[in-house]
Amino acid sequence: MTLKEKIASRKFVVLGEFEPPKGADFSRLTKSANQVKGRLDALVVPEMANAVMKAGSLGGCAFLNAQGFETILQVCCRDRNRLALQADILSASALGISNLMAVSGEDIRFGDHPQAREVYDLDLMQLLEILSNFQGGRDMAGIELTGAPAFCIGSTVNAGAIGGALDIEIENLERMVEGGVQFAITTPVFDLHRFQQFMKRIDIEKVAIIPTVLLLKSAGMARYIDRNIKSVSIPSEMIREIQKAPDKLKQCIKTAAELITHLKEMGMAGVLISTVGWEDKLPQLLDAAKL
Amino acid sequence: MIVADKKPIEEIIDMVKGYHKILIVGCNECVTVCEAGGKKEVGVLASALRMYFMNEGEKIEVDEITLERQCDHEYLEEIRNSIDQYDAVVSLACGVGVQFMAEKYFGTPVYPGVNTCFMGVTEERGVWSERCQGCGQCILDKTAGICPISRCAKRLLNGPCGGSTQGKCEISKDLDCAWQLIIDRLKELDRLDEYEEIAPIKDWSTERAGGPRKVVREDVRQ
Ligand code: SF4
Ligand code: SF4
Repeated sequence: MTLKEKIASRKFVVLGEFEPPKGADFSRLTKSANQVKGRLDALVVPEMANAVMKAGSLGGCAFLNAQGFETILQVCCRDRNRLALQADILSASALGISNLMAVSGEDIRFGDHPQAREVYDLDLMQLLEILSNFQGGRDMAGIELTGAPAFCIGSTVNAGAIGGALDIEIENLERMVEGGVQFAITTPVFDLHRFQQFMKRIDIEKVAIIPTVLLLKSAGMARYIDRNIKSVSIPSEMIREIQKAPDKLKQCIKTAAELITHLKEMGMAGVLISTVGWEDKLPQLLDAAKL
Repeated sequence: MIVADKKPIEEIIDMVKGYHKILIVGCNECVTVCEAGGKKEVGVLASALRMYFMNEGEKIEVDEITLERQCDHEYLEEIRNSIDQYDAVVSLACGVGVQFMAEKYFGTPVYPGVNTCFMGVTEERGVWSERCQGCGQCILDKTAGICPISRCAKRLLNGPCGGSTQGKCEISKDLDCAWQLIIDRLKELDRLDEYEEIAPIKDWSTERAGGPRKVVREDVRQ
């Protein structure tokens, strides 16, 4: 069953995040993907996450696709104008990539090339418009394509938004769904109570919500995220448990596995497991989560 | 100066439709020089609107005023006492003035009456052209006083592209190739050897690409 079919029938999907390297040696990417071959429904390949220059999503997806993995391409408004975006989407389709996520991209100033020019020729809603034109066989200029690409289209949603920001987030998600988005991957979820409040606002018939489960590496990392990333809150109990555990790694894996289990029980459409560099710990995590 | 162009009257009519009393505010600086938003244009727009709405059988009162500038508190304050009489304001200042007005008079709808285009010069009456994009890190010292960022279609920093023909840019025969101009002037100044130097990769963070900008001068701050 393809990811698209699974998402359409709301079967629980397990996605893993695989960052391409900063460099031309992709061997580690292959190695870590092979460790979980057959256990993930698709691999999300970020497009220069946090505006840090590295090999791109298209290259990463094509590379992994060729090795038999189903991938999700990230198409990002930050670095490409409408020509480049359209060209990449067509190339992706020809390379056999059938899933994509439209993203805005983090600001260039957060990354390692803050002197670069941002592009933002199109915003997210406009990018979705291109995609829908594409599926109808036309480019943005209305010119007919030789061969229309067909994708399972997703985007992101901030599950940590509160108050007025949440209203805007929900409104935007609805607009994206009207624009053709079939699944939305959330910001990392740790606080299930807060997440439930968010989910109450979503019509899950219309869009598959896939929460991100981030594998923490230490209590320090958890504290840092909790303090500095507005959209993510981590229960203090969770942080304490990691802190007092004799085997911190084991506790971090247990925490992530429990989150996955709870999210599955909550009837979520799937999870995206993000390990930020700890892809080699994925097999252990999948074991712990019985996936 | 900041160069603006007139907005089509139909657009302005659409913006102010339904209001009973509006104020058109001109600006005495750049937009007066480029004949898009000074006292004269305020008068012309006000008459056109009155005429249009009269023909439509709608009653609308249109007042006129032109301020010295709309990008300074001091001059914008001059309408503080009268602003509440109006349902809406049409500002003929550049986008800066429109926004400063909107910030100051938060509860009053403020509409833009011109299209703000660029920073440029008056080549001759009725012809204005771009000279600067405010990149925040001026390189005119290296380019013979001619800006390739605002005047080269591709913003090239190291000499012309292959499309430069007989001094004209490949995108239009009406546009001088900026790099031809730069090279000609370097020659004139006997500085052509400087052309050999490779311009470093530009830091765009000081340009708009680096996000909204601000200049803070502690030495003149009060
Ligand atoms: S180099 Fe930058 S500051 Fe100087 S004229 Fe050109 S755009 Fe303006
Ligand atoms: S022809 Fe000259 S001005 Fe036009 S893009 Fe090329 S170098 Fe720039």
